[in-house]
Amino acid sequence: MPDIFYAKTEQEVSDFIFDNYNKSNPIEIVGNGSKRIGRIVQSSQTLSLNSMSGILEYFPEELYIKVLPGTSLQEIEATLKQKNQFFGFEPNDLGYLYNAQSNPGTIGGVVSCNLSGPGRFKNGALRDHVLGFKAVNGSGAKVKSGGTVVKNVTGYDLSKIISGAYGTLCAITEINLKVSPLPEFEETFLISGIDYIQAIDVFRKALDSSLEISGACFFPETNASFLTLNDVKKDTSVLGLRVQGPKASVVERIQGLNKMFKDKSVSMLDTYQTAIFWREIKNFEGYSNSEEFVCKISLPITNMINFIKHFEKTNFKYFLDWGGNVAWCLLENQNDLDKMRIFCLKHDGHLTVLRANDNFRKSEEFLTNSDSNLKILSKKLKESFDPKRILNPNKMYAGI
Amino acid sequence: MPLKLPEADRNVIKDKSNIVHDLSKITKNIIHADEEIKPYETDGLSVYRQKPIAVVLPETTDQVSQILKYCHRRKIKVVPRGAGTGLSGGSIPLADCILMGMGKFNKILETDFDNRCVVAQPCVANLAITQAVQHRDFYYAPDPSSQLACSIGGNVAENSGGVHSLKYGTTTNNLMGVEMVLMDGTVLKFGGKHLDSEGYDLLGLITGSEGLLGVVTEVTVRILKKPESVRAVLIGFNSIEDSGNCVADIIAKGIVPAGMEIMDKPLIIATDNYAKAGYPRDVEALLIVELDGTTSEVDTLIEKVLGIAKMNKASYNRASNSDEERLRFWKGRKAAFTACGVLAPDYICMDGSIPRKKLADVLSYISKLSKKYKLDVANCFHAGDGNLHPLIMFDSNDPVEMKKAEDFGADILKYCVKVGGVLSGEHGIGVEKRELMCEMFNDNDIQQQLNIKNAFDTENLLNPGKVFPILHRCAEGGRMHIHKGKDKFPNLPRF
Repeated sequence: MPDIFYAKTEQEVSDFIFDNYNKSNPIEIVGNGSKRIGRIVQSSQTLSLNSMSGILEYFPEELYIKVLPGTSLQEIEATLKQKNQFFGFEPNDLGYLYNAQSNPGTIGGVVSCNLSGPGRFKNGALRDHVLGFKAVNGSGAKVKSGGTVVKNVTGYDLSKIISGAYGTLCAITEINLKVSPLPEFEETFLISGIDYIQAIDVFRKALDSSLEISGACFFPETNASFLTLNDVKKDTSVLGLRVQGPKASVVERIQGLNKMFKDKSVSMLDTYQTAIFWREIKNFEGYSNSEEFVCKISLPITNMINFIKHFEKTNFKYFLDWGGNVAWCLLENQNDLDKMRIFCLKHDGHLTVLRANDNFRKSEEFLTNSDSNLKILSKKLKESFDPKRILNPNKMYAGI
Repeated sequence: MPLKLPEADRNVIKDKSNIVHDLSKITKNIIHADEEIKPYETDGLSVYRQKPIAVVLPETTDQVSQILKYCHRRKIKVVPRGAGTGLSGGSIPLADCILMGMGKFNKILETDFDNRCVVAQPCVANLAITQAVQHRDFYYAPDPSSQLACSIGGNVAENSGGVHSLKYGTTTNNLMGVEMVLMDGTVLKFGGKHLDSEGYDLLGLITGSEGLLGVVTEVTVRILKKPESVRAVLIGFNSIEDSGNCVADIIAKGIVPAGMEIMDKPLIIATDNYAKAGYPRDVEALLIVELDGTTSEVDTLIEKVLGIAKMNKASYNRASNSDEERLRFWKGRKAAFTACGVLAPDYICMDGSIPRKKLADVLSYISKLSKKYKLDVANCFHAGDGNLHPLIMFDSNDPVEMKKAEDFGADILKYCVKVGGVLSGEHGIGVEKRELMCEMFNDNDIQQQLNIKNAFDTENLLNPGKVFPILHRCAEGGRMHIHKGKDKFPNLPRF
């Protein structure tokens, strides 16, 4: 087991990385280890940012919060809630995937994985909410980019590139995130007993309207048991549309949905169950208690229909989210996973493995193998931050 | 006006005829006669002018790739250019460069309603995208005030915003994919019609990179359905402070308007004279708030906003009751730059972003500077997202006044940074603000950015002399790792 160094300050992070840079020692950067995404890192050193915790600035009227990387997501979300605010990207709690219980992890880990919840298609991804940061790169230099304002073209937008970089470019030491006002009210409109082709059509109609849908998911009959709520039928498919905003507007828009889908089997979820419904989806709670692969399939909506059709006879479970732009899949067989990956590559999309066993994580790629020129550029980009490739080496791709 | 640019390679300039000959084998669209090059010697920052050795106007991605590959091999600098409306001098040529005009990439390739996106070539005008989809009540959200002319590729380069970016984001939040050619001719695709890039977010990195990392040859943007109802309200205040407080209170109450704009008195008068927008002329600050959503939602929000305005001592208010009236409210604001053109022979438009609560502070500082420099200034402010556009008026025929205007602008931006803001919200750094980068960044920060530039463009041939300071180094901050006295990237100009 490598020694774990718990840095308390940016300077300590810098000194630690500089020292290991000089010795060419690989370092694994960790928060509280809540996410087991990515390839397993072989390293002699571990840098934990868990002790760098705390909210440095929070100005609700300026719509941003500045935090240290080891701050727990739970603490931040609770603080935002006190001021009726939240993160529009709805961060996932991946604890359910790996340990069948809540463990939202640290904000540094959340940013490094760039995962977003059900509102992503309307509110943007995590990366759209990172306004600025401070970090230490792979040679130990302290660097910063961005700021606390939403409009900013002052130098390259490095906030984007560190989001979803899985700690392979730098160790984040401070993060500024955009926050949004919590919707005053929300309701969930359900349609049951439809197939995936009809579901995509419902998404299209609802999202092409002015009804400002902020959640759009579909569970086929084969995966209806994912949802545990008593009010959701378990023996048939279910499609959910979330409507948020001022109460009068939500009521009005639900009426609009009723009118639009009057020929379907529709119902309303109890208002108090709406939050639970979308939380279960956001946190993949229905995929806990299993060792199977969980993967994210991102495709253009029109190709999603072909994807499901193509794999109709394959043994896997899925649900659609983001209005049909993403499928979150559960499957056992790696051959099927490989076939799905190839399909995504050919159809303008990609597959990311969120959960896999250690054998897979040691030897296989968890990201879709992109084209060779992109790989070359990715490697150069990695080296522009981390010239000796000591930060989380091979975590994203073998050799990067 | 002399502008310091990277040292010109005399051999390249001397070899012009051979270079033109070689490039003409790749594209017939090549301009090299002095008088024909003239329109390309500057962009929206027209105080600086420089002729390139030639202008190429490729028509296909393959031609772009071949031209870049050739220039890379011959170590010839290349400056990309879209519509040439940029305000920070990002596409001003160098004496020894090939200017790559993307003007012939002007077609919309696909309007894909099923995937709610448009695929366009980079020199399609911003507004043309909305025009291509509005028959089905869709639109493209970022709307810079130059949207009639500015190109979507240029928007990607500068991460352009507009008046609606508080709610709908800037280019980076609405861009789904690009095709791009690197300086060595490599053609790459980032993103596409799906959501989320996989691997490093190169799409996010190149947005706002000011044409330094690659030449964009195709753009995919998401389109949105028009809201059911849109209304705007004009609110007048007797002090700038009150208008700023009103904006902060609107946000604090959890309202996210589609747009919030403040104009100060000089601009209210100028724009009203110019556009006959019907603005109140006896107020010190005018706030335009636009709200969108369902009809009842918008009506409720308008009432809430008017209530908040009243608590902040608003002296005037008027809500639009028709789309014509709403557009009239905007007509003045959108004509702000043109209206200032009537007030003085020249103006420069600054572009700092600041925390909203600092608005009154920054505006009072600008007013002091206006007295100090004896130059008039008018201010408009994307109040929702903190983006300030002071318009400094001067006469460029008077070199002393021009220098004063530049110093005035620099002082404003330095103050923006001092109060927690940034140098540029949406116009980019270009050549205009490059020497001010040290106000925000130290040597380490800049070096990291230069390292990234190096990853994309090893020889520093694509649009050099922009964004990064070239006259001096930034203050040392933290540790620099230079081995045996050698820079890691000796080819890069180090300020």
